[in-house]
Order: sequence, then C-alpha cells, then structure tokens
Amino acid sequence: MGEAAEALLRVDSLDFAFRDRRVLNGVALEVAEGEIVALLGPNGSGKSTLMRAICGRLQPDSGSISINGRNPHTDRRARALIGLVPQQIALYPHLSVAENVRAFARLSGTPAADVANCSARAVELCDLAEVAARRAGELSGGWQRRANIACAVAHSPRLLVLDEPTVGIDPPARREIESLLGRLAGQGIGILLTSHDLGQLERLAHRVAFMIDGRVAVSGAPDTLITEYFDQRRECSLVVDRPPSDEQAGKLALAGLGVGDDGGKLHWSGLVDEQVRDTQLEHLLGDLGLSEWRVRRPGLDSLWRHLYGQAPSADIA
Amino acid sequence: MILTVAQVMWLALWRDRGSLILAFLLPPLMFFVFAEVFSGTGENELEMRVVILDSVESPVTGRLRAEMIALDGLVVSDQTALDVQALEAQVRSGRHDAAVWIRAEPDGDLDAEAAIVVVGDASRALATSVVVGRLQAMLQSSFPEFGIARAATLVDALAGPYSDDQRQALDEVLDGLARDQAGLGGAGAMNDVRDDASDNNQGAAGGLIERRLLAGPDRGDDGISYYAGAVAILFLLFSAMQGAISLIDERTSGIVDRLVAGPGGYTTVVLGKGLFLTGQGLAQAGVIFAFAWWFYDIDWPGHFGAWLVTALLAAAVSAWLGLLLASLCRSRQQAQTASAFVVLILSAIGGSMMPRFLMPGWLRELGWFTPNAWVIESWQGIFWRGDGVPELATGWVVLAAIFLTAMGLTLWRAAGLTRIK
Repeated sequence: MGEAAEALLRVDSLDFAFRDRRVLNGVALEVAEGEIVALLGPNGSGKSTLMRAICGRLQPDSGSISINGRNPHTDRRARALIGLVPQQIALYPHLSVAENVRAFARLSGTPAADVANCSARAVELCDLAEVAARRAGELSGGWQRRANIACAVAHSPRLLVLDEPTVGIDPPARREIESLLGRLAGQGIGILLTSHDLGQLERLAHRVAFMIDGRVAVSGAPDTLITEYFDQRRECSLVVDRPPSDEQAGKLALAGLGVGDDGGKLHWSGLVDEQVRDTQLEHLLGDLGLSEWRVRRPGLDSLWRHLYGQAPSADIA
Repeated sequence: MILTVAQVMWLALWRDRGSLILAFLLPPLMFFVFAEVFSGTGENELEMRVVILDSVESPVTGRLRAEMIALDGLVVSDQTALDVQALEAQVRSGRHDAAVWIRAEPDGDLDAEAAIVVVGDASRALATSVVVGRLQAMLQSSFPEFGIARAATLVDALAGPYSDDQRQALDEVLDGLARDQAGLGGAGAMNDVRDDASDNNQGAAGGLIERRLLAGPDRGDDGISYYAGAVAILFLLFSAMQGAISLIDERTSGIVDRLVAGPGGYTTVVLGKGLFLTGQGLAQAGVIFAFAWWFYDIDWPGHFGAWLVTALLAAAVSAWLGLLLASLCRSRQQAQTASAFVVLILSAIGGSMMPRFLMPGWLRELGWFTPNAWVIESWQGIFWRGDGVPELATGWVVLAAIFLTAMGLTLWRAAGLTRIK
C-alpha cells in the first residue's frame, strides 16, 4: 500500500520555527488514498505542529504541503478535503448525534441540498443509527468517540486527520474505532493519526512515521520496520524466585538481558537473538528458579524504546 | 477539618483573580456609583442643567438671571433660547433637565400670570421639581421684596385698603429691600408656586413660579418608555454575554479546531454567533416593548420602524461586545466574571439602573461612553419626544460605530486565536 497509490497528502521539506526553537526540520511525509499512516513521537517531537500545518492552521517557514495538489493554508478547497477529529470530544452536547453530524457537514462546506444524504451516510458508516436521536452529551465515551469521527467524515473528506482517537475509552470501544477506521480507509479515505496505543497501530496502520527532532526519522510498515530493526531477535522477559549468582547474571547480560526496574535482580528483560536464546539461554533457565518466562516478537513499543531510549508510557500520559 | 475547607476556599478565591475582583472590587465600585448618585440628591448637590429665556430683559430680571447662574446645583447653559418653542425643544431633546422662562417682572399683582415658568419634561418630573425648589429658595433669600409685596397685596385685598401713609411706608420698605438685596441677599417668605402639568399648559392666575411639564406624544407613557429601554439594554447585554461564552466552550472542546480546519474557517463561526445573538437580542427587546405596548399603552406599532432600527443596533452592539469579551477571555469562569463586571458597570453608569439626570455631571458625561445611554436616549426620543430620523441619527451612528468596532476587534482577535503564524 502507499507506494503504488498516488499520494493524497504530500509534505515536503517542511520547516517551522517557533521563536528560536526549530519545531519542524525538513519533514517529509506522504499519505495515499486508503492508507492509514500513524505519526509517532514523544511530546515536543513536532507531531501536533505538523498536524496543524497540514490542516492549514500554520504557515510553514519553508517547504510545501499539498492535498490533492492544493495548499491547505491558502486554498479553502484543500481544507474542504480534510476531516479533523480532535483529541477532545468536539461535539455540541445539547444537540443529538444526527444534529451534530448535520451541523458539521454544513460547517465543513457541504452544499445544503446534500447535507441530509451526507449526514445519513456518515451516521450509517460509523454505526451510529441506534444513538442518532440521542443528545451527544448523554452518550458513553465510546459512542462519543464514534460520533466525533462521524462529524469529521460527514462532508466526505478525502483525508482524515485524527488526534488520539481512542484516548480514554475501554478496549471493546477501541476495537470498534479500529474497525471503523479500517472501513473508512477501505472507502479510499487517507488517514493520518496519532495514538498512544501502539498495539492498535501495529494492527491498524499501513505505515508508521516516527518523529525525532522535528523530522520523520523512521518510516515504514510496522512489520517491515520491526523486522528491519530487530531481525531475528525476540523480546524476552523473565522473573526469577531468587537473585541469580554473579556467574548467571553475567551470562544473562551476555545474552542481551538487563535487570528490570525493581532493582532486586529478580526481573530481567531485553532483546535476545533467537539463536542465542536457543543455544545459551535455554540451558541457563533451568538453574534460575523461574517463576515467569515470556518470549514475544518485538513490536512498535520495542521500536519506540529503541529510538527514544524510554518506554512509551513514560512519555504519554 | 472545617478550617481546612475554609482555607481551601480562601486559596481558591485568592488565586482566582476574577472572583476576587467580583467579590472585592465590583461592590465598592457599584457602591461608589450609587453613592455619587444618591448622596447628590439632597440639598443643592444634585446638578440640574437649565437653559434660561429672559423675555423682559430689565434690570430686575437681569438680577434674577445673575442669581440663577450663581446658584449651586444649577448648571445654566451658555445657550440662550430665542423663544419659548426653542426652549421647549431643548428640554424635549434631553439636552437640558429644565428650562426657566422669565416672562414678566415679578410684582405684587396676584391676578397676573406667574412671572417665572419652569418648563420640564414629564418623564423627568423630579428634575423640574428640584429646579423649582432651587428657584424658590433663591427668591426667598435674594428677592424677599417680591414675597412681601405679594403678601401686602393679599392683606390689602382681604383687610385693606391701606392708608396713603401705610402705602408710602410699604413702598419705602420694598424699595429699600430691593436696593439691599441687589448687593447683599436676605430673607423672606415665598411659597408661591403654581403647578401646571395639564395637557394644554395654560397657566392659572396666582404664583410667581409656574411649573409646566411637557408631555410626550404618548400621553400615557409616564416614563414607561424610559424603563422599557433601560431594562431591555441591560438584559440584552447580559444575555449576549452569556451566549457569547459558548465561544470559549468551543475553543476548549476542540470544536474550533475542527471548524478552523474546514473551508469556512473560524470567521464564519464567529459571524454566525454574532447573527444569532443579534437575533436573540432583537427578540428580547421585542418582548419587552410588546409588554409595554400591551400593558402600558406605549405606541409601539406607531413607531415600529424607528424602534426596529434602534433595537437592531442595540442587539448588534450587545452581541458583539459579548463576543469581544469572550474572545479576550481564556476560560468560561473568567468570561462570566468579566461579563458580570462589565454589564453591571455599563448599566449603572449608562442609566439602566437609575435615570442619568440624577447623576452628578461628570458621571452623566461618562455615561455617553456606554451603549446603554445611547440606546435609552434613542428609545426615549422615539416614544417620548417623537423624534424623527434627523434627531435620532447621532445615536444610531454612535451605536453603529460601537457595533462595527466591537465586531472588527472580535474578528481580529478570533483570527489571532486560531492561527499560530
């Protein structure tokens, strides 16, 4: 996906400085029709600024942004192609879901004659029919999140920009949103999103773009990146009943495991080559008095730790 | 534990500047305004603006004019009306609280028309009474001979006639008093006021001072149009400020982010809110004047066109002042505090809480910087004085200027809020 399709959103060599601080530093990014691209990075890495620039709210110092060949900062028609889903529940709480969708469809430039049809389609697409007549303020978090998305797609945008679309909702509701975004992409809508749920992004995103110091430093399909960075290594984690001897600790370290945060030498984890695990670690495990032993394929969280030197949860509240 | 809760409340108040201002700055400010008004209503502290017409222009009436000009609490305009119609027009227009027409030299003739006519507006009858009271006091102290002459005439009619010697002695006393008072002032008895608020304003025989109240075109009004206007603009401002706060809710809820990304941009949103709040204000003013029409016989249908222009401007001014305030505030709480502050102060100074003629001069002048004063004056002009477009034009232009300035500033501020660079 992506390479063959024509780019719907194209960001090229984008620079932006706020006062003396360089926030965007030569950002390059593309999103194709029907493609889901996740923008990742710790606070201050430039994600929000980039999203604002894409939505036309910020004039970059240099570089270019185009949506279907138009500049969103200067061209209303380009902005009409964007549907923005803010992190907050951006709905009128006293209006019903259907009224909200209609209002935002109209405010987003849908011709009056098409509002009813477009709104009905958005409600259906987002599976909101059963709550369409209820006031938005009375709905649960999951329904509100879906209504939030419905309002953004009511005017049939080509590019959907979502800022943390699943924050604060329970796992079943997250899966609903995940499924919804998949359906929207299936309809040819290009999706650019940020999320703290790296597991979800791994399943959902066609590509992820890690931002470091105001630029997209690493980009690609999650599987490809994980393979590229970790190859045959696996994420291993073990918990032992008693602290290992110095000799055992030395062998664990040699295999690539480090002491966990508990400080008691009871928890060890790290990326271990499959061959090393099979040849060296398995023999050692029997002598350690294991209470837990986990092996898993590295994920985006592993890549995050590798790139930023910290766990994702340490950065994202 | 009770003290801890109290301490938490105190810290919350101390750190919330808005609440602090509302709690400790607004009350003394409101007190100051009311104190300035009501402490000035006693004795000679209430300032009344009057214009004088001297139809006699004799040395005696010249002295009368000089004494009036020197009176405390009477601000005599430099303007001199050319005739009675002009005099009345000045009062009707609201430029003066009352007018003094010296139509004859005061003398002892009990059958003659009152020498001094105080012309006032029936909607500001209190102002007329104050002026009459001041003139009475001035005549008592500075022109005792007038009172004595009238008393002597009365005694002559009831118990007389005087002998030639008595008549000569009386004339000498009166001449002496007149000479003395020309330079000194003195004391006497003068409570000879004829009240005439009848429709035709025809004076009856008798007193030295006649009070003539000018009725508006709506005879049954009796100040209702004033209070309808005063209440309308007060609540228009309150409602608009509350409605405009949704601007802040939308900013914090992310709705603005969503809309700014759209093709219409934030300007469309702000203009839409302005349109709604203007419509809401128009409807509110309509409800108030419909009540005044239904229950108090204000001729609303008869002045509907001019009323509509003023109501539209009043609603637009309220709407855009509210939106400007909301665009300047960071939070709902801050906006609520600021709006309460602004509306109460504007309404107190602008005449929504008490008639402006009761205020000291400087406060009256300050009132012209509020939309309340212009709106109230415009509606009073329409319903009370029967003003036409030429008389109303100034007020309308001022209100339009306030509306356009507030709208321009709001849109400029909104653009700044939604665009980082």
